[in-house]
Amino acid sequence: MKKIIFIFFIPCLFIFQSCIEIIDDLTIHKDGSGVLKYTINLSASKVRVNSILALDSLDGAKVPSISEIKKKIELFKQTLALQKGITNVQITENYTDFIFKFECTFINVNLLQEGLQMSYSVISNDKSNVNSNFTWLYLDSKKLKRSVPELTTERLKKISQKDNELLKTGSYISITRFDHLIERFDNPLSKISKDKKALMLKTNIYSLKEKQSLLENTIYLISD
Amino acid sequence: MHLKYFTLFIFSLVFSILFSQKSESLVPKDAVTVFSINNFKLLQKISLDDLISYEFMEEIHQELFDGSTSGKSLKEAGIDFDQKLNVFSGRLNDCEISGFSFGIKNKEQLFTVFDDFYPVSYPKINGIEVYGSFVNSLIIKNEVALLIRVEPLIEQVNKVADSIWYARGNEIPFNNEDLEEETILSEEIFDEERENLFPVASFDPNEKNYNELKDSVQLVLQNKKLANILDELFNQNINLIASNRLFEKQLTHPVEAVFFLDNARNLKEPNELWYLQTFFPDINKDIDGLYDGNFILGDLSIIDNKVEFNIEVLYNENLGSIYQELSNSSFDSKVLKYIPESSTAYFTSNMNLREAYEKAFEVIMPLLEKKNDSEMAINLLTAELLNEFVDKDALFGTCKGSLFGFFNGIKKIKIKKIEYVYDENFNYITQSTDADEDMPIFTFGFSIDRTDIPEKVFKHLERSNLKIVNMGNYWRYDNAILDAAPLYMISKNGLFLFTNDEDLAINHSQGYGDKSISHSNIKKAMNSNLIYASVDVGTSLKLFPVDLLGAKENQLIESLRGKTGIIELKTTKAKKKNANMQLVYSDFSDDQTGKHLLDLINAIYVASK
Repeated sequence: MKKIIFIFFIPCLFIFQSCIEIIDDLTIHKDGSGVLKYTINLSASKVRVNSILALDSLDGAKVPSISEIKKKIELFKQTLALQKGITNVQITENYTDFIFKFECTFINVNLLQEGLQMSYSVISNDKSNVNSNFTWLYLDSKKLKRSVPELTTERLKKISQKDNELLKTGSYISITRFDHLIERFDNPLSKISKDKKALMLKTNIYSLKEKQSLLENTIYLISD
Repeated sequence: MHLKYFTLFIFSLVFSILFSQKSESLVPKDAVTVFSINNFKLLQKISLDDLISYEFMEEIHQELFDGSTSGKSLKEAGIDFDQKLNVFSGRLNDCEISGFSFGIKNKEQLFTVFDDFYPVSYPKINGIEVYGSFVNSLIIKNEVALLIRVEPLIEQVNKVADSIWYARGNEIPFNNEDLEEETILSEEIFDEERENLFPVASFDPNEKNYNELKDSVQLVLQNKKLANILDELFNQNINLIASNRLFEKQLTHPVEAVFFLDNARNLKEPNELWYLQTFFPDINKDIDGLYDGNFILGDLSIIDNKVEFNIEVLYNENLGSIYQELSNSSFDSKVLKYIPESSTAYFTSNMNLREAYEKAFEVIMPLLEKKNDSEMAINLLTAELLNEFVDKDALFGTCKGSLFGFFNGIKKIKIKKIEYVYDENFNYITQSTDADEDMPIFTFGFSIDRTDIPEKVFKHLERSNLKIVNMGNYWRYDNAILDAAPLYMISKNGLFLFTNDEDLAINHSQGYGDKSISHSNIKKAMNSNLIYASVDVGTSLKLFPVDLLGAKENQLIESLRGKTGIIELKTTKAKKKNANMQLVYSDFSDDQTGKHLLDLINAIYVASK
């Protein structure tokens, strides 16, 4: 029954207001270790996602099946768990509302970046990623510098013009938390939390595509 | 003396008019689909860049779209507008052909467009100049030219290449049986095994590896087929005009363009009826006979700022008897009050499925009974038993054959989405909220006598599936559409409707009354026997979500997107040997009639591919 309905109503997708919400939530402890949480929320676009998943291909590119997506996610999880300095890798997949949550703990930001870069290279089958500039975090005892990885900026540039309207409705939220108190920060778009230990930066994905420096920030910490 | 020369001159003139080669005589006999544009002058103002952007030009698109056409119009391409432009394509058992033939006014100008072509020698065919490029060939004879692409089918290339490969004592060219699909995900393993996926080049540079052999085979088959076509066209004078009287007659019609489709051969394409061809090749072979003589002929005319496409479908008496029964039904006018005036695209279809089924059974079974093998006997027995045991009154009482559907624009619907809510320290929790989304609204319905059958189905489904709810006047199936939006099912007034329009389910389950389509449109739908369709191109296609349709449907809609006007499809009752349809494209907002003619040709080409 559902299959028949699907065939009849496959054209019924939500065309204009599909949106994506990405939350990157980084916690840095006093010893440089921390937790990275990354959430992709497609619940507001679940009809569009379901419609796309029903297709074999879109704009000439093959559309992966849910089982293929699950395999890739599992491969990413397994690869990342094997990386030095990274533990407690957890990925929650919700294929009803299309919400994906990733979380891992790390010993230091360098090992986190190396581990993510390697894992991404494996799942994308592209060794060149290993050599690209994947540094987007720089931490010393007094400050944290954040930017956007080159890989992400390259990916964003490849998004076609026709998808710009969709990107404008999508949001990217970057949260950085510390055990220390925050003294000051460079990016005026940042908001500081009431307890002065966290910063939030919110932008839409279209703006991020057009200006990657929107998420760049240097956060200065108050030493103990 | 003067009289003698004058007589000779007149005789030569008449002879040259009657017997000089025209562009249409260069259409190969293997062409399955042909568009022949008579009033080529209409297209003079169209730029070459615009012309080659049409799908019907796609085969030669890469060849021409290399900058050499930039900023040029057809007029500057050396083409003779007093001759027809004939666009053709066809898929044969061993290759695909496509191309077009046209007249030449100025060869020098022509080669400013076809600037990548180099001369090729075909000594066995006299009086022609042949030019080749990467994939296409340009053949010129006097004032006419043929641009043709011949592509051998990959199955044929593989078959020949394999036979040569193994005859030379080679092993299996691809050693990949140990490589499981899953391991390809791992890049390192993939790299290690990569060398086994492709044939290794031989140490002897003169010995071809498998892929090189395949390329050579492809080239040889391509050249052989092209040589055959050229021999037929220029040495033996065998072309589509000579081999098909219908095409010949079609070309004489005084209209802007004509269309020819040999549907019997079109149906034999490997992509069509593949299931039947693969699993029941014998049945397919015999049913082939059913389509013998099945041609679709069309005349495209421009009348009072309207582009009209009059189509005649020809078939044999067997197929005709089925079509006659299919169209032997009275129009169910109840459907019309369910189509709202606001609908920008709708169709009605009126068929007598019961009578058509009985006739098809009567016609097809004796054809199949001629086959004398055990597999066929079992198939026939199954068909006979189903025919006896299935309650046809219940089956065709549930779905009689009158169908309708409409697109009613975009409406807001409510869906649930998950939102993240942040506190003062940016900790967050999720909460479910309502969101408005734009959704295209579609309704499909059919006439039904046995309303008790869906009642039974939904009564039981309601008990087993919590998402199906009886709402009194209708059933609602929650999240039925792409796991997000409800589907409504309505059984009223001898009709059964599926819709995602809540307003229709709640407020219009008895129909739209005076808000349904106008009397003039009702009359048109009722007069069009088998199918009537009306599409407001400007509004419907702008809103229609094409990006998630199938590639072919998407291409069809994209080919008309951005255009304005109304497209109407009307049909007549099927007769013994033919049926007629009319497609009218009218009310476009500009005066670029030539462009609209091309738009319609393109849409028809995409649909007939």
